[in-house]
This record gives sequence, structure tokens and C-alpha cells, in this order.
Amino acid sequence: MRRVTRNGLVLAVLLCCAAPRVGDAASLLEGRVVDRTLDNGMRVLIVKRPAVPTVSYNLTVRAGSVDEPGGQSGLAHLFEHMAFKGTERIGTRDFSAERPLLEELDRLEVDLQRELALPRNPDTKRLAELRRRFAEVQDRARALVEPNEYGAIYDRQGAVGLNASTGADLTRYVVSLPANRLPLWIALEADRFSRPVFREFYTERDVVLEERRLRVDNNPGGKLYEAFLTTAFAAHPYRVPTIGWSSEVDRLTAPQARAFFEEQYAPANAVLAIVGDVDVDATLRQVAASFGAIPARPAPAGGVAQEPRQDGQRRVEVEYDAQPELLVGYHRPGIDHPDDPVFDVIESLLSSGRRSRLYAELVTTRQVAVAASASAGEPGSRYPNLFVLRAVPRAPHTLDEVEAALLNEVERLQREEVPARELERVINRLDAGLIRSLQSNAGLASQLAYFEAVAGDWRYILGIRDRTAAVTAKDVQRVASTWLVKRNRTVARLVPASPSAP
Amino acid sequence: MRFLIATVLAMLTASTLWAGSEPPPVRPQDPRTMTFPSEPFTPPRAERVTLPNGMILYLLEDHELPIVNLTAMIRTGSVYDPPAKIGLAELTGTVIRTGGTASRSGDEVDDELEFVGAELSSSIGQDAGWASLNVLTKDLDRGVTLFADMLMRPAFAPEKVDLAKKQAIEGIRRRNDHPGSIVSREFNKLLYGPEHPFARESTEATINTVTRDDLIAFHRRYYHPNTLMVAATGDFQRDDLIALLRRSFDGWASERVTWPAVPRVAEQPNARVNFIARDGTQTQVRMGWLGIKQSDPDFFALSLLDDILGGQAFTSRLFQEVRTKAGLAYSVGSAVVPGRFDRGTIFLYAQTKTESTTQAIASMREQVERLLTSPVSERELTDAKQAFLNSFVFSFSNPAQITNRQMSLEYYGLPADFLERFRSNVERVTARDLLRVARRHLVLDRLVILAVGDDRLFEPPLSTFGAVRVIDLERASANGEPRAKPSLRAPVASPPGMSHRAD
Repeated sequence: MRRVTRNGLVLAVLLCCAAPRVGDAASLLEGRVVDRTLDNGMRVLIVKRPAVPTVSYNLTVRAGSVDEPGGQSGLAHLFEHMAFKGTERIGTRDFSAERPLLEELDRLEVDLQRELALPRNPDTKRLAELRRRFAEVQDRARALVEPNEYGAIYDRQGAVGLNASTGADLTRYVVSLPANRLPLWIALEADRFSRPVFREFYTERDVVLEERRLRVDNNPGGKLYEAFLTTAFAAHPYRVPTIGWSSEVDRLTAPQARAFFEEQYAPANAVLAIVGDVDVDATLRQVAASFGAIPARPAPAGGVAQEPRQDGQRRVEVEYDAQPELLVGYHRPGIDHPDDPVFDVIESLLSSGRRSRLYAELVTTRQVAVAASASAGEPGSRYPNLFVLRAVPRAPHTLDEVEAALLNEVERLQREEVPARELERVINRLDAGLIRSLQSNAGLASQLAYFEAVAGDWRYILGIRDRTAAVTAKDVQRVASTWLVKRNRTVARLVPASPSAP
Repeated sequence: MRFLIATVLAMLTASTLWAGSEPPPVRPQDPRTMTFPSEPFTPPRAERVTLPNGMILYLLEDHELPIVNLTAMIRTGSVYDPPAKIGLAELTGTVIRTGGTASRSGDEVDDELEFVGAELSSSIGQDAGWASLNVLTKDLDRGVTLFADMLMRPAFAPEKVDLAKKQAIEGIRRRNDHPGSIVSREFNKLLYGPEHPFARESTEATINTVTRDDLIAFHRRYYHPNTLMVAATGDFQRDDLIALLRRSFDGWASERVTWPAVPRVAEQPNARVNFIARDGTQTQVRMGWLGIKQSDPDFFALSLLDDILGGQAFTSRLFQEVRTKAGLAYSVGSAVVPGRFDRGTIFLYAQTKTESTTQAIASMREQVERLLTSPVSERELTDAKQAFLNSFVFSFSNPAQITNRQMSLEYYGLPADFLERFRSNVERVTARDLLRVARRHLVLDRLVILAVGDDRLFEPPLSTFGAVRVIDLERASANGEPRAKPSLRAPVASPPGMSHRAD
């Protein structure tokens, strides 16, 4: 029964589009995305895919680490952790008793930080007293917590993939549920994005510090990437690691998280994408009644430091107890620039598949590397960003050899016109890739919300193919010669630790 | 009970109707008290077809997107590597794909497939070989022809064999770059023994002894239509695809195949506490036991027990105690990994800052003890069951998942209705069952602990938990190979700072 309905729907979609191109993802999506803006500015995107009675939800907020106030690195991410701690209703046994204790903790934390920051040796007696009181209030507050209730409710109801992620540009909250649990999702999500409560804040900081140790401090790739970004960007907040600097994370407070929420989590700054076995009208009605009731707030003022033009190559080395690795990055214009699709084409030429240039040349033919790839936009896409090459040398070949081999491929892009067949290959692979991306509900929800948040319109997806097809061999040559040049380059190398390291 | 369900259904129906005509309330319902009927859903099943040459097919059409996916399982695995040639199966799996076929070079295969955005892969894992094709419908004929050609007539071009060996050796050199991969590999060696096929590792020496002829012989021995199954889903017509597969695999005849015996898994006479030195600010902790086979009747209760202990994010006891309350770890949990042909593993894991290593281990161990001393509460049991049962529909999220599972159940000798049995067994599990399986499989006296980190800052020292055996990982050199070399260290007698690495 369900399959018949589904097939009927696909047929209707194909009929409504005049002469769909075979294998074109845009034609498969066109007409299937229901798109509304709530009165408070929140965007809602819905796609009905009734094959299986499940629904994937993606709540994307256009706020990431780039939006943090100076000195509060890691705040966007810590807020994301706090969003799982509940609200005035969820996660507490008695919020009216809990509230004053949480406020007291915030005051004690500020007192503690003040005491530690004084330009003299801290008053050890006062410090000890503050710490004792902090621990005591924390214990009393903890006794009122209904631990992890938010996740527990979801789990009981059969949620899958409950998670969240924070990046430089965006914070995303995802979950999939059996199809008839829409009211549950609405009740939980509309509540936490109206009235989040920052309980267990100061223990969660420790959890995040462990996350940093795991992802960055004890991870060679993480260390290299962090050093790479802090070198490539001098002014723009893309230089700040999303996870935060340890010393700053360690001083974040709940009132700072509250201020960040008030400013950044305005309804007009959020996108809901819902994909699966939904009743579109009922879903829209219920979403409008709940999320739509959140009062409108002005969208954040925004405005971040612009990255000044780079006037010469930058190099950085990270010593670490691991085998060598290499990143090469070039500043490039943003997603709204007409040359944006040219960078996508260059990425594909260099990096998509075993016959792509980097793999064929560095890995298969010259065998100087075991891996080599390109990425068109790091670490985010809301602002001008970096075109990045990465390579992993194969001993005994050195970082110097691998760097020279990478740069040789960049120069080839500037020197030689790309053959027509290679450009055609890019289009064909893009078509197949876009179709694959439509296979899962969660994947489709993620794509729609991503482009809505970053490009300002999910329809960006519909135009990708035509924009890519319009890229010429001359465009590739021109863009490579303009942007992928030495004075605009940052090279970061992971090298073995020298014996005298402190 | 029956009455209650009827009431809930009536309420839901009423609210749906009402929502149609008037605006619903602004303040949503309380999510804690919401109830929902289970979703009626009859998942599709793949059709099983046997070709005249013995090849088994699982087929399920799905016409939503113009794409077709084929996945093959081949009865082979690295467990059949001769001890002197560890790495042979993995190399064979790689070069089947990269080394071309009788009629085209590997690069030509890549050119042809990648030009149309198709994906073709081959690999051999521990207990199975795999191959897959993902191709747009319009390129199906071409794709299936190449897929069959690759499986039947791989050419193992000498330069691709050489390249795969060089890459394998570089992988060995990089094996110890991440503390997380050190802990999982070395922990498996502790449970199975370093020579057992479930735990052993290739070295530069074993890779160097593998020749192209070895790869050819390995493929010839194990790849036959009667050792291979194909699961197909997507935009095809059943009859056409069967005809296409018959044409493409034409001339491939079934053959008698024998597989070498795999040594039985046995408990290791190990020290219970093990340590590997690694500079850094965080310790990788893993602790656990040899586990059970997937066909063991205790598997169902043990899976639920694992959810309660550390398998389920947010609600598990380990997440609750070690992460949320104590702030000792970002990633903490447990896993029951069932063995397919022999015993699997049961383990707890965490990463914690160096200074809190002993505290985290003690806290994790305490959660195991709790499971052994008192039954889980009815509420915990009900919640865990509800979580499992309500998410059951996600086991049928897409046709490929359904079809590939049917194939792999047959491959691993499990009943076709394994998942349905799993569900009904989970429904029946009691708190007493959980206590029984905990006491049977989570035996504290046999708990094996491994910590990878900087023990100069462990406070109190690891020897709190018993005699510590130190495992040395030799560093990769330009042509050296890492090897584990155990040595025994007495408890208490070695305070922190006196570790082997302090000199």
C-alpha cells in the first residue's frame, strides 16, 4: 500500500517537470520540497517520502564559532552540549527550587574567576571558601536534576541518531523518529529553543575539555588542522578552533551561554528540515503553532573581521609523535562569488575518484603519497574561505617531495587547458553524487537545511548542475592563476617530534 | 491494560481531528506523558533466487531513484591467511579491484566507471569478502559486466600488486599514530592472543613475503559462483537483472572449495591489568572480556544489558556516571560485539585526562559491580525495552539495508527471521535474566584492563587494580616494524615515575 502511494508520487513529480533529464537530481527534487516561512521568520522545509514510516528532523541554526564574542572561544559548541540538559520542565525535579541555586553557582563562578585574575597572589583562604561553597551549591543543584531526561524521553520513544554538531558556520540538531512521533519532536524541540536551562554547566565544561583532548590535543590530524587555520587566517574568526582554546573554555559561564542564545538563536536564524513519511499539511500546522509561537527577535547583527589580503606565503610546522602529513591552503572568495562553481570543478578534477589528478599522479604513478585530496571550502562557507589540498607521504618520500608534487598539479591547472572529457567527467560524477545524496531521509534533510542556512536558499541545490556545466576550461585556468598562487598560500606540516621537545 | 491503550488511541484520533479545524494550543503537550501506538508497517522482503551455477541472489526493486546497488559477499576472509603471509587476504581484496581484468587494465576500468559516476569496490575483511557496484540505471549493463569481469577474471597486474604492498607497509608505519587505534588493536590481542586470526596483525615482513602468485591462488581458491551471493536493490526489473547477471557470469562454474580450520578461541592466561606508554594529555581505557557467539541464546539479554550499562547514549549508566555527573570523559560506553563464527567481545571504553585515569577506571568497574550485585530497576528495564522496540522500524530504513541483511544472515548461518526473534526475545527479558547473564559473562576476576597513556601522572597508580603488565610498542622507523613485547611489572612495587619509560 505504501509502496503504491510512493510510486504514484514519484510519477506525479516526473510528470510535472517538462522533459526531465535522465539522472538529474534537480529534476527529482523539483516540486517535492514544501517551503514556508513562519511569522517569526523561521524557515520550514518539508519533503514527503512515505516508503518507510519514519521521519528525519534537522534543526539548523545559522550560528557557529564565528559568531562567538572574543575571548569566549568554544561557546557555540558548549551551548550545543547544554541544549541537551533540558528546560524549565524537562530535566528537573523542581525548577523553582533549582533556579536560585543555578543563579548562585553563576555568581560564585564569577567571584572565583575574579579572585584568580587579581594582579597579586590569590587569597588562598578566600579561594578555598569559594570553592567549598561552589561544591556545596553544586551538590544541592545536582540533587534536583532529572539526569539526561531529554535524551531518555527520545530514547524510550524509539529515536535514532539523536545528536548535534557545531561548526564554524552552523549548529545542527538531528534526530529520526517513527513517523507518528511528530508531536513529541515538537514538544521537545520548541521547548528547548524557547526556554533552555543551563544546568550542570560547570561539569559539562570538563566534558568538552575531554572532547578537545580527544579530537585535537591527542590527535595528529586535529593538531595540524588547528595550526593550519590559525596560520592561514590572521583576522577572520575562521582562525579560532570551534572546540575552543582550553583556557577560554575553562572560563565560560552560563550567563555567557544565555547571552549567546538570546542573540544567535533568533527564530529568523533557524531552519527546520523535515523529511520522511509525513502529512505535510498537519506537520506545517503543528510546526507553525509551536515554533511559530516563539517571539520574533532581530536576527544577529553579525559583522566579523574581514580577512586582509595575504601578502606572502605562510608556513607552519607541528611537531608530534606521528608520521608526517601536509596541508596546503589558498584563500578564496565565498559561496556567492561567480567563481564558486569553478572551485567545485577544480576540487573534482583534483580529487574525485581514482582517476582524479592527485590520486593518479601522487598515489598511483609517482607513488610518493598514500593519500591525496582537495577540498573546495574550509572551514566553513558563510564567509570567504580556503581551498585546501592534503597529502599523506609514503616513506621514504619526504614532505618536500610531496609538497612539490602537489604544487606541480596546481601549476598544471594554470598552464594547461583541461580536456573536455575531464570536464564532462566532473558533471557526470556530480549528477550521480547528487542522486546518491537523496537516498536517505536524514541526508536529504541535512542538505536542504545546510544550503538554506549557508546560501540563503535551499534552491541553490537545483542550480548546482547548470552552474557547474557552465564552467569552461578557460575558467579553470583563470581561477587557478588568480587564487592558487604562492603569495596567497599557507603550508602546514606535521613533522616528527624533535628529541629536545620540552 | 487493553482499556488504557484504547483510551490513548481515542485521544489521539480526537486531537488529530481537532487540529484540522482549529489552531492547536500554543503550549505543547508534556513530552514525558505522551504515548503513541506502534506504527503498522510490513517491511518489504527481498526475493531469493539461485542461479544454475549455484550463485545466490537477493533481489528487491525500488524505483524511487534511477540508481542500482549490488553488494556481493564471498566466503573467504583474512582468518584464512597463512601465518607467514598475514595481509594476503586484504591485498587480494584490494588488487581484485585495482589490478584490472583479463580484458582491461585497472586504469581502464576506473576511466570507464568513474566517467559515468559509478562506484565499484572490492575488499576482504576478517570473515568475508565483499564487492559492490553502485551505478545509475542507464549504465547498469556496463556496470554489471565490469562487476562480473572483476570477480571472475581479475588480472592482478604486477605493478598494482606492488603498489598495494607499498601502501600496506605505509599503513603499518602509521598504525600507532592514534592512541585510539592502539588501544583497540592491543586489547583484542589480549583477549584472543596475539597469534589468533581474530587479533593478529600484518607486519612489514609478512607483507614482503606475499607474492602476486599468492594473490592469484587466493582468489582462485575462494572465488566461485557457489561461494558468492549478490544482493541487488534499486531501479531494475527483476527478470532483466537475472538475465543480465546470468549473461555476465556466463561460463563461471561452481567448484568444490575447502576452507582451512580456524583455531578455536580460548581464554588467555593474561595479566588482568595492562599498560602501554604513550605521551599525551589523555588516557585511552578499555576493559572487558571474551564474549559470546551471535547464536548464543544469551545474546538478546546481553544486548539489553549492554544498552543499560553503556550502549545507549544519554541514558546508559556509564554515560550518566562517568560523563554527566563526574565530567571524566567525552566518549564513554560499552559494547557487546557478538562473534560470528566463534566468541566475540564485551568491553567498556573511555578516554579521560591523564590525571583522572585511575578514577575513571574505578568508576567504570563500579558500574560493572552494580550489575552483578543488584537487579536493574523495572523502570530501567522498561525504558531499555521501549527504546529497542520503538526504534525497530529503523532496521528497515531502506531496501539495501533489508536486502543486505537477508544476505548476511544466510552468510553467517543465522535464521532468516533472526531479527523478529530478536524482537520477541527482547520483549520477554526480565531483570532476573539480566542479572543471570551479567554474572555469567561479566566476571570481575577475569576482567582485562588496558590503559594507553602517560602513567607518570596516574594518581593513584594503575597497580591499584593488580599486577601491571607493560606492553612496549616499538616505534616505526624508516624500515622497522612495530611489535608488541610484553614484560611483567609487580604491583605496588612500582610507584609512578618508576615506569619503564622514566629512564
